[in-house]
Amino acid sequence: MADHSLVIEAGGELESPLVRRCIEAATQSADAVEMWRRQRRTLERLPSQLAEALLHRLLSRRLLYPSLLEVFKYNVEKVDLRGESSVDAEWMAYLGAFHFLYSLNVSECHRINSSALWSLSGMNHLKEMDLSRCSKVNDAGIKHLLSIRTIETLCISETSVTTNGVTLLSSLKKISKLELGGLFITDTALVSLRVLTNLQHLDIWGSDVTNEGASILVKFPNLNFLNLAWTKVTVLPNLPSITCLNMSNCTIHSIFKGGFNDNDNKATLKKLILSGTSFKDVTKAFSYFDPICLSFLDLSNSSLRDLSFLLSMKALENLDLSGNLIGDDSVEFIASVGANLETLNLSNTRVTSAGVGILAGHVPKLETISLSSTPIDDLAISYIAMIPSLKAIDVKATYVTGVDSSLEVLGNLKNLEKLNLEETPLKDEGVGPISNFKKLSHLSLRSSFLTDVSLQYLTSVTKLKTLSIRDAILTSAGIDCFNPPPFLKSLDLTGCWLLTKDVIFSFVERHPGIKIRHELVCDFEEAKHTSPLQTSVRRRFSSSPLKYEMSAIIDERLKYSRAELLSMQFASMAIVPPSDSGMSMSPE
Amino acid sequence: MKKEDTVKLISAEGFEFVIDKNAAMVSQTIRNMLTSPGDFAETEHQEVTFPEISTTILEKICQYFYWSLQYASGKETEFHIEPELTLELMMAANYLHT
Repeated sequence: MADHSLVIEAGGELESPLVRRCIEAATQSADAVEMWRRQRRTLERLPSQLAEALLHRLLSRRLLYPSLLEVFKYNVEKVDLRGESSVDAEWMAYLGAFHFLYSLNVSECHRINSSALWSLSGMNHLKEMDLSRCSKVNDAGIKHLLSIRTIETLCISETSVTTNGVTLLSSLKKISKLELGGLFITDTALVSLRVLTNLQHLDIWGSDVTNEGASILVKFPNLNFLNLAWTKVTVLPNLPSITCLNMSNCTIHSIFKGGFNDNDNKATLKKLILSGTSFKDVTKAFSYFDPICLSFLDLSNSSLRDLSFLLSMKALENLDLSGNLIGDDSVEFIASVGANLETLNLSNTRVTSAGVGILAGHVPKLETISLSSTPIDDLAISYIAMIPSLKAIDVKATYVTGVDSSLEVLGNLKNLEKLNLEETPLKDEGVGPISNFKKLSHLSLRSSFLTDVSLQYLTSVTKLKTLSIRDAILTSAGIDCFNPPPFLKSLDLTGCWLLTKDVIFSFVERHPGIKIRHELVCDFEEAKHTSPLQTSVRRRFSSSPLKYEMSAIIDERLKYSRAELLSMQFASMAIVPPSDSGMSMSPE
Repeated sequence: MKKEDTVKLISAEGFEFVIDKNAAMVSQTIRNMLTSPGDFAETEHQEVTFPEISTTILEKICQYFYWSLQYASGKETEFHIEPELTLELMMAANYLHT
C-alpha cells in the first residue's frame, strides 16, 4: 500500500523536498493529524495535487478514516483506494460528497457492495471508475452508476454483474473504455452496447461471447484495444481501427474475416497477444491484417511448428515463442525479422546451440533473450556473446556448465545487467569469470555444486544489487567472511542448508541494508509492514503459516550419500579460499 | 554582510526577512525572480513580497533555506516541522519550489 503514495510522489508532481517533509510531518501520527484537520480554510485552498498526496499518504500510514475524508472534499480529484479492505459504504458516502472527484479506484475493495454505490449517484465530474474484483457489486450497483452521465472509463471486471447489468450501460453514452473481463455475459450484452460508438477500449475476456456477438464489433469505429481471451470467438470481422488485440486461449480460425476488396482498410496491428491459442491454419489466420507495424507478438504455448508467417513482420520488437514445438529450422525465420528485435523469448523450445548461432549476427538491437529449459550448452554462450546490445540473459535449466571459462566471453557484453544461470550444472570454476562483469546488477545461481569459493568470486562484482545463490553448499564460515559488493540489496540463500540461524542473523546485523532470504529467517521485515487486515486476508486463503514453512523445508541430506555427508562435515574448513583462511579460520 | 549578497523577503503582514542570497536561491521560484532578465522591481531592489505567505510561515521557510544549505554540505540534522504548520508550509513550499 505504501507503493501508492510513492507512485504519486514519483509522478513528478512533488519533487519539492520541503513539501515531502511537510507531508511526512503531517502524517506522523494521529495526534499530528488532529493538529491540522480543523484548519478548514487552509484545507480548502490546498492545491489538488498536494491534497491528493496527503490523502494517499494518510491512507498508507493507516491514518485515514471515513470522516477525515471530508476535509478533502473541495480539492481532491483523484482517489485510489485499491485493495483497501476497510473501505465500505461509509467511505463511499463521504467520497460521494467530493465536489470535483474525477477518478475513483476502489478495485479489490471487498466490502463495497451495490448499495454502497448509491452514494455516488449523481456525481458531476466522475469520469473514471474502477470497481474491478468488487465481487459484491451486481446489477443493482450498475443502476446507481447510470445517473453519473460523465463516466468515460468503467472497469467492472470480475464483479457479479450479469448480462442484464451490462445491457443497462448502453445509456452511458460517453463511455470510451469498458472492462468487462470475467463476467458471465452473452452476445446479447455485447449487442446492446453497440450504441456506445465512442468505445476505444473493450475488454471482455472470459465471457460467453461467440462469433455472432463479435460480429457487431464493427459498430465501434474507434475501437483500438480488444481483449477476447478465453472466449469462444474464432473469427473476427474486419476491424480496421484495432491496434492491440488479445485472443489468448481462443481457438482461432482467422484474425479478421477477409474476403474484402483490396481497397478496404486492413487493420494495422501493433500488439498481438495469442498465448495458449490453437490455430486451425496459422498462415491463413494471419493473412488478413497488415503486419507492417506489428511490434509486439506473443505466441507462447500455441503448439506452433512452422514460423514462416513471421517473414512479413519486419517491425517486431518483442517476440515470445516460448513453449512451442519449434527447433533450429525455425530460428532462420526469427533471424530474418531480427533487425528491430529487443526482446526474444525462446524458453521451453527445442532450439539448440546451433540455433542460437543462426540468430547471432541478425539481432543487433536485442536486449533480452530467454533460452531457459532449452537443450543449449556452453557453445550457445559463445554465440550469445556476439549479440552486442544484450542486457539480460536467461539460460536457466540448460546444459551450460561453465567449464573452460566458457562464461568469460560474456564479459564482452558491455551492457549486461541480468544473468540467470539457475538449475544448470555450473561449478565454482565456471563462476570465476563472472567477477569481471562490469555492469552486472542481478545474478541468479542455483546449483548444488557451488560452494563458498563462488561467493568469494562474486565479492568483486561491484554493481551487483540482487544475488541469488540457492541450493549451494555454502558454509557458515563462507558467509562470515563474505564481503558483499557495495550496492547489494538482496541476497537469496534459499536451500543453502548448511547455514545456521546464528550465522544468518549475525550477517543481517553486520549488513542491515541487505535483505536476506532463507528458510531460517522468516520475512520479519515484510511482516512488520503489512497491516493486520492484510495478514488476516492472507491467512484465510493459505493454511497456517507455520504449516507452510514446514513443508518448504526439505531435508537436503537426501541428496547425498553417507560418505559424501561425512566428508562434508569438515568441508567448511576446506572450502574457504586460501586468501581468507589465515585470518578467520584458524581451527581451535 | 554586503548588501548585494542579501535579499529581502517580505511577508503578507509586512515583516521583512533579510537573508543570504545563497540561501534564498534554494527556492527555484525566488531564483527565477531575482535572476530573470528585464526591469523587474524584484531584480532591481533584490526584494520579494509574498502577499500569500504569513510571517510565521516565511520565517520557517527562511530557516529551511539555511538548514538546506547545511544539509547539502553534509551536516545531517533533522528539520523539525510543527504539525500545525504543515499545511500552510506545504503550500508555500509548493509555490516556492523548494
